[in-house]
Amino acid sequence: MNESILAVQKAIDELDIDGVSALVAKCLEEGLAPEIIIQEGISKGLEIVGRKFEEGEYFLADLIMAGEVVKEAMPLLKSHMNPDEASLRGKVILATVAGDIHEIGKNIVGMILSANGFEVIDLGVDVPAQKIIETAKATGARFIGLSALLTTMVGSIRDVAEMSAKAGLRDAMKIVIGGACTSEALCREMGADAYGETAIDALRIFTSYSKAA
Amino acid sequence: MHPIERVLNTMEGKPVDRVPTFCAMVEDRTFNEVLGKPLISQELLMTNPVARFVVDRWGPLITRPIFQTELNRALMKRIRAQVELGFDSIWAIHDETFTVLNHTTMVRFNGSVFNIQPDGYGNMTYMYRGPGIKSREDFEAWPYWPDADDVAHRTYNFFKKVVSNYGQRTCLFGQGPAYGIQESLLWAVGFEKMPVWIRREKDLVKRYIDLNEEICLKTNMALLEAGVPVIIQTDDFAFKSGPIMNPKLIDELFGPSYRRIIKAVHDRKGKYVLHSCGDNTLLVDAFISWGVDGLHAYETTSNVDIFHEKKIHGDKVTIIGGVGVDYLLTDRSKDEEVVDMVKKLIRELGPGGRFIIAPVHSLSSIPARKLEVMVNAVNRYGAYPLSLETPPKEAAQ
Repeated sequence: MNESILAVQKAIDELDIDGVSALVAKCLEEGLAPEIIIQEGISKGLEIVGRKFEEGEYFLADLIMAGEVVKEAMPLLKSHMNPDEASLRGKVILATVAGDIHEIGKNIVGMILSANGFEVIDLGVDVPAQKIIETAKATGARFIGLSALLTTMVGSIRDVAEMSAKAGLRDAMKIVIGGACTSEALCREMGADAYGETAIDALRIFTSYSKAA
Repeated sequence: MHPIERVLNTMEGKPVDRVPTFCAMVEDRTFNEVLGKPLISQELLMTNPVARFVVDRWGPLITRPIFQTELNRALMKRIRAQVELGFDSIWAIHDETFTVLNHTTMVRFNGSVFNIQPDGYGNMTYMYRGPGIKSREDFEAWPYWPDADDVAHRTYNFFKKVVSNYGQRTCLFGQGPAYGIQESLLWAVGFEKMPVWIRREKDLVKRYIDLNEEICLKTNMALLEAGVPVIIQTDDFAFKSGPIMNPKLIDELFGPSYRRIIKAVHDRKGKYVLHSCGDNTLLVDAFISWGVDGLHAYETTSNVDIFHEKKIHGDKVTIIGGVGVDYLLTDRSKDEEVVDMVKKLIRELGPGGRFIIAPVHSLSSIPARKLEVMVNAVNRYGAYPLSLETPPKEAAQ
C-alpha cells in the first residue's frame, strides 16, 4: 500500500489529531483520490481502532478521539469530492427517544457512523416517534438508531416501530436500539430489529444492513 | 447493634449482627410517598405563567433566596424519608452548585448546563443538557465559580442540622456540593470533546481539576467537622460496557487529587465511599489504591459482575449496592422478586462481611413501598450467622 495512505491509517490508529490533516494533504498532493484515502486510510484506521476497542486496548474516549481525528481530516477531503459521493453507505436517522434527553451515546454512534461513510441525520433528544417517521419519509432514510437511557421511556421505542408499520415503512426499515437500559430482550419486546451495546456494534449492524440493501 | 456501629464495623471488616442497608438517596416522588404530598405540586408552580415570568426575568437573583431555600427543604425531606424507611445508612446531600437562568435552564458552578423539567410525578427535576465551556475563552470567562470557603461554610451549617436531627438514628453518608472531578469535567466540556481537551488543553484541564479538588477538600472537611462519619462522592468513571477512558489515564489525571482528598478524610477518622455508575471492573484496583473504603453502585444494567467482584476485591473494599432500579425497584416487579434478589445477595455477598446491600441508584420511578420490601427482607434474612441455604437448583449447577 502507498506509504502516505499508510501514514493516514497510522494517524487514525494512534489518534494523532494534530498530524492527520497534513498527512491527508500529502496524499492529495501525490494525486491520490479522496475516496481511496477514505477507504484505505481512514476507514482502515478506524477498523484498527474498533478492533483495539473490542480487545480492550482502547476505551470509549479513544473511540471518540478517533472520530475527532477523522473530523479534523474530513473538510479537506470533502473539498476535493463530488457532493454526491459524500454519503457512501446510506442514511441513518439517530434520535434519543421521547422523554429522554441523554445523548452522549447517540452522539458517539453518530460520530463513528459519519466517519465510516454514513450520512447521519441527527434529530437530537426527546424526539417524538412521529418526527422520526416524518423524517424517514422526507429523506428516504431507512436505518433508524434509537437511544434510551431512562427505563421509564423505553415504550417510545415501540411507538416508533408501530408508527413505522402504520406508515407502511416497517418492512423496509431497520430499527437499532442502544443505551444504558436497553438489551437484546428489550429489543425483541419493543419490536426493534437489533440491539447494539457499543458504538462499534452499531457500526457493524448498520454496515451489514447497508451491504444487504 | 446500632446502625452506625453496624455500618462502620462492616466497612472495617469487623463482625456485625446483620448485613447493613444503605439508601442511595430518594427522589421527590419517593419522599412524597413517605412523607405526604405537598398541597401544590412543584410542576404546577413552575408551569404557572406568573412564576415563569419571574424566573425568566430574575432567575439568577432569586436562586439563592428562593430556589436554594426550597431545595434545602427538599434535601432535608429526602434525608428524613430515607431514615423513616428504616435504612441503616443513607445518602445525605447538600447541593448548592446551581444557578437558575430561566424556567428551563440552570447551570452548575463548575461549567455544565441542565434542563429543568417535570419528572412525570408532579415534581420538577433536572437533566444534563450540555457543556457550558466550549473554548479556552469560555473557561477563563466562566462566571459561576464559587468561593470554596463560602461553599464549605454553608455546607457545614446544613450538615450541622442534619447531624442534629438524624445523626443518632442512622449512619450518614454525606456529600457536599462537590460532584466528581472527572464527571464534572466531562459535563463542563462535553463528553465528545473531553478527550481533545485532555490532549490539547493540558494546562486548563489541570487548573479545572485543581479548582474542583479544592472544593471537594473544603466541603469534605466541613462535613466531617459537622459530625458526618462517612463521605460519599459521586464520579461516574464508567459506562455500561467499561471505563470511559484508559484506566491508566484515569489514574494519572485524577488519582493524585483523589489520593489527597481521601487521605484528608482518613486523617480526620472519616470513611470514604465512591459512587461510580457503570462497569468499573477495570478500575477497582486504582480506586483501592486511592484509599476508598467502599464502592457503590455495581449497576445491574452494566456488565459488572458483583459476585465476581466480591471474590477478588471483597477483602479490600466494602461492596455497596446490588439491587437494580431498572426493574426490581419499580412498580413493575413483584414483591417476591425483590425478596428473592435480597436473599441471593445476602447468601452470595454476605459471608465474610464488607457488604452493604443497597439500591444501585436513586430514580423517580422507585416507589417507596418497594424500598420497604427490600429493607424488610434484609431485616428478616440478613442476620449473622447467615442461615440462608443455596436453593437446590443453584446447588445442582
